[in-house]
Amino acid sequence: MRVLDYEIPDRLYYSKEHEWVLLEGNEATVGITDYAQKQLHEIVYAEIQKESTEVKQFQQMGVVESIKSVSDIFSPVTGKITKVNVELGNSPEILNQDPYGKGWLAKIILMNSKKDISNLLSAKQYAEYIKSLEE
Amino acid sequence: MDEDLRKIHLHEWHRQNAKMVEFAGFHMPLWYKGIIPEHMVVRTRVGVFDTTHMGRVLISGDRCEAFLNYVTTNDVSLLEPLSAQYSTMCNENGGIKDDLILSRLDQDKFLMVYNAANREKDYKWLVQHSAIFGVKVEDVSDNIAMFAVQGPNAQETLQNISDIDRSKVGRFKCCWTQVADTKAFVSRTGYTGEDGFEIFVWDAPLSEPAKAIKVWDSIFKAGEELGIEPCGLGARDTLRLEAGMCLYGNDIDESITPLEAGLSFVVKPKKDTFIGKDALTKQRTEGIKRKRVGLRALEKGILRPNHEVWKDSAEKIGHVTSGTFSPILECGIAMAYVPIEYAAEGQTVTVKVRQKSLKAEIVKPPFYDPAKYGYSRQK
Repeated sequence: MRVLDYEIPDRLYYSKEHEWVLLEGNEATVGITDYAQKQLHEIVYAEIQKESTEVKQFQQMGVVESIKSVSDIFSPVTGKITKVNVELGNSPEILNQDPYGKGWLAKIILMNSKKDISNLLSAKQYAEYIKSLEE
Repeated sequence: MDEDLRKIHLHEWHRQNAKMVEFAGFHMPLWYKGIIPEHMVVRTRVGVFDTTHMGRVLISGDRCEAFLNYVTTNDVSLLEPLSAQYSTMCNENGGIKDDLILSRLDQDKFLMVYNAANREKDYKWLVQHSAIFGVKVEDVSDNIAMFAVQGPNAQETLQNISDIDRSKVGRFKCCWTQVADTKAFVSRTGYTGEDGFEIFVWDAPLSEPAKAIKVWDSIFKAGEELGIEPCGLGARDTLRLEAGMCLYGNDIDESITPLEAGLSFVVKPKKDTFIGKDALTKQRTEGIKRKRVGLRALEKGILRPNHEVWKDSAEKIGHVTSGTFSPILECGIAMAYVPIEYAAEGQTVTVKVRQKSLKAEIVKPPFYDPAKYGYSRQK
């Protein structure tokens, strides 16, 4: 769905820190939302923890920087990073251009998926949350 | 945004077209399309900045040259009418109160432009010292609009709407002209490293914005075919940093002298007494212990203010005062103060960026190749 100026795909889960999760079996692909990339604007650097690192839900897993700001990235799930998007190293601007596609951040094997997902927002809930932020 | 913030003539225009921020008590445009495209427009074509927030005073009277020689560090007697010079005002310890551009309007009248953040402090300082010289210091900040037209196409843009004689108005020269049939003072100065002009729309109080709006609109019309774009404070900061220019509050302040900041060219110790002279003369004789240097990141990452600078991993030698991403070099660039023994070009230092250590090289700004970019580029 599209809310205000922001794309919010229905099939994803969201955190209040503006990360998204695509769940496929026991694997989660995570990234930052359209809202997040528009707020940051002109991302020039991204740094995600290395493969095999264990991350905890809502704890820091990396950093995204625009010219003016530094933003922490919090893992929306608990698990082990199996893959990091290497394209971000040379082309961090893909986070602005395609936040739900080419700009994915990492793939994570979940450790307690049910509990984690229950802590996240649906697209509809995230849309309501975005509206409340823009008021 | 805070309603108490001050609004400049073009406030409505900026509000409709830009991402706005608070800066030095003003509502100001941060960017219109984006910092990187605006940066590139100034390096390759022409961009326009609204810098009406800056502090401007007129100083007049028989002894204003003597007064200005006393409160600033550069030699004002070298300044011919319709010329400008970069300078600093220092405190008694030689610490920088502010950096500024001084333009001589005629023998007994000067225009001083200083930082928005220091408007009250500087005005007070000038008034305080003006009494014994019997000169008049008049704050005209709210009565003059100020626009900077910067980039390789700036001259052609201005020639489309004014009668500026380019053979007479070289770098750091000024003139009176009509811009879009409006009286303006124009100096060939700027804060981007590029050729460009600063336009002072005369007799344009904030309460009557029509004149300033007319000039602003006419500049865009004049530069339409030259690729002109509005630029915000974001690009202003990346451009000045890439050119190696200081930002007051970051790279210079009252605890730093012009000699340490690499601004010794604006300190003229041979002139009669001036505020800070003794301290600066002493420091020049004894030699400076630290120095402002440029840093270019040798690895991916952005250098930012307060990041620690280390020599290898053994010794902390300083910290970053300004840092950003350079759109031209596509890497992190910064300024820092380091002890003189570590300040040589080509040395490698380590900058602590969060938990990581980033290698950086000490370089002499400007960071870009001056044969390709900036006012001395080869055409």
